[in-house]
Amino acid sequence: MYGVCGCCGALRPRYKRLVDNIFPEDSEDGLIKSNMEKLTFYALSAPEKLDRIGAYLSEKLSRDVARHRYGYVCIAMEALDQLLMACHCQSINLFVESFLKMVAKLLESEKPNLQILGTNSFVKFANIEEDTPSYHRSYDFFVSRFSEMCHSSHDDIEIRNKIRMAGIKGLQGVVRKTVNDELQANIWDPQHMDKIVPSLLYNLQHIEEAESRSPSPLQTTEKERENPAELAERCLRELLGRAAYGNIKNAIKPVLMHLDNHSLWEPKIFAVRCFKIIMFSIQPQHSHLVIQQLLGHLDANSRSAATVRAGIVEVLSEAAVIAATGSVGPTVLELFNTLLRHLRLSIDYELTGSYDSAINIGTKIIKEHEERMFQEGIIKTIGSFARTLPTYQRSEVMLFIMGKVPLPSLHHPMDPGKTGENRNRLIQIMLLKSLLQVSMGFQCNNMLTALPSSFLDPLLSPALMEDGEIRLIVLEILICLIDRHLNRRKFSSISTVPDIAVLKLKVDKCSRPDTLFMKKHSQQLYRHIYLSCNELSNVQAHYEAIYGLLVMISIELANEEVVVDLIRLVLAIQDMAISNEDNLSAYSRCALHALCAAYLNLICQLTTVPAFCQHIHEVIEMRQKDAPYLLPEDVFLEKPRWSKSVEQVEVNLLFLQSKVSEVLGGSGYNSDRLSTPYVPQLTDEDRLSKRKSIGETISLQVEVESRNSPEKEERAPAEEITFETLKKAIVDSVAVEEQERERRRQVVEKFQKAPFEEIAAHCGARATLLQSKLNQIFELTIRPPPSPSGTITAAFGQSQNHSIPVYEMKFPDLCVY
Amino acid sequence: MSMEDYDFLFKIVLIGNAGVGKTCLVRRFTQGLFPPGQGATIGVDFMIKTVEIKGEKIKLQIWDTAGQERFRSITQSYYRSANALILTYDITCEESFRCLPEWLREIEQYANNEVITVLVGNKIDLAERREVSQQRAEEFAESQNMYYLETSAKESDNVEKLFLDLACRLISEARQNALVNNVDSSLPGEGKTISYLNCCNFN
Repeated sequence: MYGVCGCCGALRPRYKRLVDNIFPEDSEDGLIKSNMEKLTFYALSAPEKLDRIGAYLSEKLSRDVARHRYGYVCIAMEALDQLLMACHCQSINLFVESFLKMVAKLLESEKPNLQILGTNSFVKFANIEEDTPSYHRSYDFFVSRFSEMCHSSHDDIEIRNKIRMAGIKGLQGVVRKTVNDELQANIWDPQHMDKIVPSLLYNLQHIEEAESRSPSPLQTTEKERENPAELAERCLRELLGRAAYGNIKNAIKPVLMHLDNHSLWEPKIFAVRCFKIIMFSIQPQHSHLVIQQLLGHLDANSRSAATVRAGIVEVLSEAAVIAATGSVGPTVLELFNTLLRHLRLSIDYELTGSYDSAINIGTKIIKEHEERMFQEGIIKTIGSFARTLPTYQRSEVMLFIMGKVPLPSLHHPMDPGKTGENRNRLIQIMLLKSLLQVSMGFQCNNMLTALPSSFLDPLLSPALMEDGEIRLIVLEILICLIDRHLNRRKFSSISTVPDIAVLKLKVDKCSRPDTLFMKKHSQQLYRHIYLSCNELSNVQAHYEAIYGLLVMISIELANEEVVVDLIRLVLAIQDMAISNEDNLSAYSRCALHALCAAYLNLICQLTTVPAFCQHIHEVIEMRQKDAPYLLPEDVFLEKPRWSKSVEQVEVNLLFLQSKVSEVLGGSGYNSDRLSTPYVPQLTDEDRLSKRKSIGETISLQVEVESRNSPEKEERAPAEEITFETLKKAIVDSVAVEEQERERRRQVVEKFQKAPFEEIAAHCGARATLLQSKLNQIFELTIRPPPSPSGTITAAFGQSQNHSIPVYEMKFPDLCVY
Repeated sequence: MSMEDYDFLFKIVLIGNAGVGKTCLVRRFTQGLFPPGQGATIGVDFMIKTVEIKGEKIKLQIWDTAGQERFRSITQSYYRSANALILTYDITCEESFRCLPEWLREIEQYANNEVITVLVGNKIDLAERREVSQQRAEEFAESQNMYYLETSAKESDNVEKLFLDLACRLISEARQNALVNNVDSSLPGEGKTISYLNCCNFN
């Protein structure tokens, strides 16, 4: 045999002889190193022969594969590798062709060893940076085959892991090779990404299983390195790190698909992990694209199970926080918009019990519970995302959310009917909860710009006061917004602390913008507090919130004037508890007394006027002795102790207006103003809502309504004749003269003493009253020409926008005086 | 000296519901085995087989996809480059037949337009439990312009025929295409590949 070879050898081309010589007689011996050096030297000195060497080597190799002579296969591959490494110059191009063919040949084999061998060579090749472009390569097969290897289901776990890791490395190689070369097939095309990404994720998702299976710590260090999941993660990071703006979409879409198909949104751990990897490895300027895609996916899944949506939202919240450290730019409002839309959708699902109002109501109970979870998830997401925003964006977001809260007004009629009401209530609650999340920890330097009227007006709207739960949330929001030094927690329960120094309050001096803010909005806030106190459905939490709000205003926003007003307000609340015009329960009345005591105790110490403190403490001591049921320590307990004797509270147990104004007047406070009782400023809406609540409780209702325009029902407020009004009319006629005299006296006194703003407010309220009455009359008498089509409302509403009819013009404010 | 060890290379992808016997068909054809108790395929599986038809070597790359819904996204990505699809159902399982229109929609969506689709009713060894009549399947195949064949991977009935027929059909398609396009006319002596459509070529 040797002789034959020798004789033929002389006739064969030199390169063939050199190639033949590197193979030992026995494949066990491995590559003959010295001959390999000769071959390398030859190849370097005659690069034009390189392609022929490659072709010949590959021919030999495929024959060896076919004959199952794997030892020789390995040697041939080693030689190919070495040549490749030695000659990475221009001439490599042709050689690479035969090289890749060989790799493909090995990958076609069923033998795991050959597959791994081929992969390793490919990876070596992938790490070579070629400087000449290559037009003619296609990596389709490699991507397909490597992806397939990533899914290996070989029976032997060890071999399976090896094959899978080879697959991952191979994919990594393809990515490295193609990503920077514009002539190559675009690796970012969906046809490749749809294979690469799921293959990596498939390996990544099995990390938990693998870990739980081998808990022995001795093996882990070795395993760590040899772990497909670990490798897959590294590869995924590398891939995403290389993604340019236009490629993100193609890379993320398969992730979403994979999570969908393998239903991995529900335990969410993996989904969150995935997106953390994504967010941390992509270039930060692209992170908003990921957020957008997640939002889009949420939309696409708007009819999926609540758990799936909850998973997406959870992922979104985690991702958004990471993205926000970069910039999410124009997507901010879009994000909130989408979240709020899904909140609404979810409420609809919950109420109707199905995704499509037409079909199944089967699994309603479970769904309701899941929808609730989903809603909580959204609210949480809104909160965690808002926390990453700068102040100006936060107040923008608050305004945005507030704008979505359904409120009864002339322009937005509420959905009629019982279900509509229920729906509105739920939406209000959810949106306000979101708002609360956003306002938590919100610290604005300038209240005036952060909380414009367009935000405060709807928030303080009486429509949000009727329902106990909603009322409480509104109070909490106000507290959050005002509390900028995190003092709130110190006042979570109501008490009469003898010395407030123990609370260690953090207080800044009231700044100028804050003063302006109070100038503008204080009356609104006072009114809100006053009316909140007067609600029958209040429970302890409400009183605590009201107390908190009072305290926060006194700490954060109080100047001398505000302090005076607050004291007046609290004294008015005390009067409310005494006179009891609205039939409050004994508990409520005790609670109000206790609230006043606690607040006055605090404010007297804040003002540090000794005489004031003395009066307050005297009263409190008196109460401790004779009427503990008027103090917070007794009323605000789990089992409150109160007494019916609140009907007649003796004067010495009360805080006296005259006394307070006397002692404070002595210390330079405006005593004239102090001695005027506080009267809440009324607005249009108040009347609207009052009427509405009466309309609800008492059924006798006569609507003065024009018969020919039923579609404008909500525009023309109804006149009501209720039992109450009739009764009042009778009683009134008897004592009318006396009352008249009394009222006259009061008016004179008021105009003499009350501050200007209050008088103006009072008159302003009357002016709007007059205005609305006039509107009402005009509305009834002047009608737009009836349009033949059924869309009168729409047409009418539009014409309003363009030109205001004469009867809608407002009287100038000055006309009132 | 030829660089290639084949004259034609075709990619065949098997699709169909889980458990209809796709993997068994491929195993039977490529390895001559019938693996009892074959587990569900994970993702995709790859096999290669070179056959000779009329003196020409034809290399068949066979991609055997998972039928399970959860792998749908990765399996779909393999349709695109396929030259032929073998859509398999189980004749003893009405459900797998009823899903065929859905599979056809997927093909429509993901595979390339010139793909050849063969409908295969597998498991004819279990004739006594047959739920889908041959006539019904034939009618369906005809209405959808597909070839139809019934096989048994277990008894090795029609398995060879399935793949060889498909290979023949692919060759004639490829020839036609080559004629029409008149591009890949290789020199007679050289026996180079006719790269057909997006045949995988590494040269």
